[in-house]
Amino acid sequence: MLSIKNLTASINGTPVLKGIDLEIKAGEIHAIMGPNGSGKSTLGKVLVGHPAYEVTGGEVLYEGRNLFELAADERARAGLFMGFQHPIEVPGVSNAAFLRLAYNKKAEAEGRDELDPLEFDDFIHEKIKLVSMKEEFLDRSLNEGFSGGEKKRNEILQMAVLEPKLAILDELDSGLDIDALRVLGEAVNKLQRPDRALLIITHFPRILETIQPQFVHVLSGGRILKSAGKELATELEDRGYDWVLEEAAAGGAR
Amino acid sequence: MTTMAVGSSLLTDLLSAPRPAEWASLREAAELRLAGRQLPATRDEDWKYTDLKALAAGAFGAAPKAAVDISGHLLPEMVGTRQVFVNGHHAPHASCASAVPAGVRYFPMSHASEACHALGSVGNGAAKGLFEDLNTARFEDGAVILVPKNLKVALPLHLLFVTKAESPVAVFPRLLVVLERGAELELVEEHHGEGPYLSCPVVEVHVAEGAVLRHERVQRESPEAFHLATLRAEVGKGGQYHSRTLSFGARLSRQEPRVRLAEGAEATLDGLALLDGTQIADTHSFLHHAEPGAISRQLHKCIVDGRARAIFNGQVLVAKGAQGTDAQQQSRNLLLSEAARVDTKPQLEIYADDVKCSHGAAVGQLDPEELFYLQSRGMNADDARNLLTYGFAADVLTHVPVASLRRSLRQLVMARTQAGSLGDLA
Repeated sequence: MLSIKNLTASINGTPVLKGIDLEIKAGEIHAIMGPNGSGKSTLGKVLVGHPAYEVTGGEVLYEGRNLFELAADERARAGLFMGFQHPIEVPGVSNAAFLRLAYNKKAEAEGRDELDPLEFDDFIHEKIKLVSMKEEFLDRSLNEGFSGGEKKRNEILQMAVLEPKLAILDELDSGLDIDALRVLGEAVNKLQRPDRALLIITHFPRILETIQPQFVHVLSGGRILKSAGKELATELEDRGYDWVLEEAAAGGAR
Repeated sequence: MTTMAVGSSLLTDLLSAPRPAEWASLREAAELRLAGRQLPATRDEDWKYTDLKALAAGAFGAAPKAAVDISGHLLPEMVGTRQVFVNGHHAPHASCASAVPAGVRYFPMSHASEACHALGSVGNGAAKGLFEDLNTARFEDGAVILVPKNLKVALPLHLLFVTKAESPVAVFPRLLVVLERGAELELVEEHHGEGPYLSCPVVEVHVAEGAVLRHERVQRESPEAFHLATLRAEVGKGGQYHSRTLSFGARLSRQEPRVRLAEGAEATLDGLALLDGTQIADTHSFLHHAEPGAISRQLHKCIVDGRARAIFNGQVLVAKGAQGTDAQQQSRNLLLSEAARVDTKPQLEIYADDVKCSHGAAVGQLDPEELFYLQSRGMNADDARNLLTYGFAADVLTHVPVASLRRSLRQLVMARTQAGSLGDLA
């Protein structure tokens, strides 16, 4: 589904990704972990086309297509999704109107029927149950005045509405209490299917107890230092990141 | 100087119309103040960016009585609380005030002159504006609203000032609102019309101690119209005056709200102007924190397209001794074209030392982070821009209390921001 080869990227001329290789196949769940400032979020934002980052080298194929030939909105309509760590507030645009618009743009691109406001109403009420969102949040302006946790809930609601093929979730657990994290983690699990894939970006292993990855990668200094199965997450929880960094430094010196 | 001569002739012409009989002493005083005055010119600091040459060149006659079709402006929540004025005259057949609760006095001034003793008294002592005096000298009729002590009016009142002009006319809408102690009211004041005209509305508001007025003001004048409005509000101890002024129409419009706050009073003075073509919309506001502990909030937004121009001058005066004042002012402006222009100027004068005052002004384009967020959800760049532009304006409408009005205003904003292609956002 996604094939990243030797990807490098920079922001304002400063290199942030320094050669990333990663293969994600349909049905897989991958976790990218690493200390703060390691480039985890950058990787996600580069993949979904954030304009602040410049791709300086390498290649990314998404379902066999060169990802960088697609504009951000085309990537989204092609099934790529990122749940952001800090979702943007958009005053004046109601959450419901925004969700319906986003749904219909994707439906249109896929040749499916668009939903009118009444049909969408039924549709969205099923979806908000999945993420345990209170109905009042549909009438409020998109993310405006939402708590950190409510914003995350709204990101997963958008994911449930758009049903992406590849969802990248950036620090889903920040701002969430244990119960909310479990609810959202289970919602993400329900959305996962054999023809879809997940990339979980997280500093803390906590979320990986609910959303269990088959592959765990440690990213630091813009490079993937170590890749292993999900047991690596447990090890990181017990031992922190330093030993991976030391191991990599020793390996580099050898 | 040519401008001055033409300007004087405009005033002379307007004052040559017969003086209505009622309130003779008020009118005489206004005429006396107008004697020898000329239209403001751009060398006046207060009119620096708002050129009245086009107004001065016009010849505006008296407005005849006319019949209009207001069916497109009726709002279901307010079918029985409506007073309509056409060309300055009360229109009894278009009005319907049957649902107004007992105790509330809501009449054309011509039917209830005894209820109008407060007329002309709001902000007494402060210098009157030229267009305010013109109104006082020549208004035909107006509405008076009196809400007695502690009465909380459940239904909003709807006031429509309609102008219908085939040749240029001048109209002088007038409104007096008096809320006695503890009274509460929601009021929607709309101005719209067709043809070329000059409208100079004057609104006087008394909010007594502990009373609350929510005042929606919608300016949808004809594209050929001049709209020069004055509002004076006095808010008593612990009283609240919340207003939202929405400017969509007129070739040239100016809003001059002047609000005085007594101890512990609260005021909101929000505004939205949506401009394109060669429209000019000017807001000169004055918030007077005269006594301690009052709170004011002002959010003024403009979206300017084409070669249009928006002006905002927001004066906040915190008087000596007005300790504990809490005043926040924001002027936010979106320019949609190269030739669009905004001149914004906050003006804080603070003579007390224990105050919390903030102001900010921003002029610019859409936020790239917001654009990206919408694009990351599958909207193309044009759709994302249109949606954000809509949201920028609709933000001011979020708390409009009357649902049908909120919806119709959102639809208007959708049409004016090219967000219509995005489906129904209202």
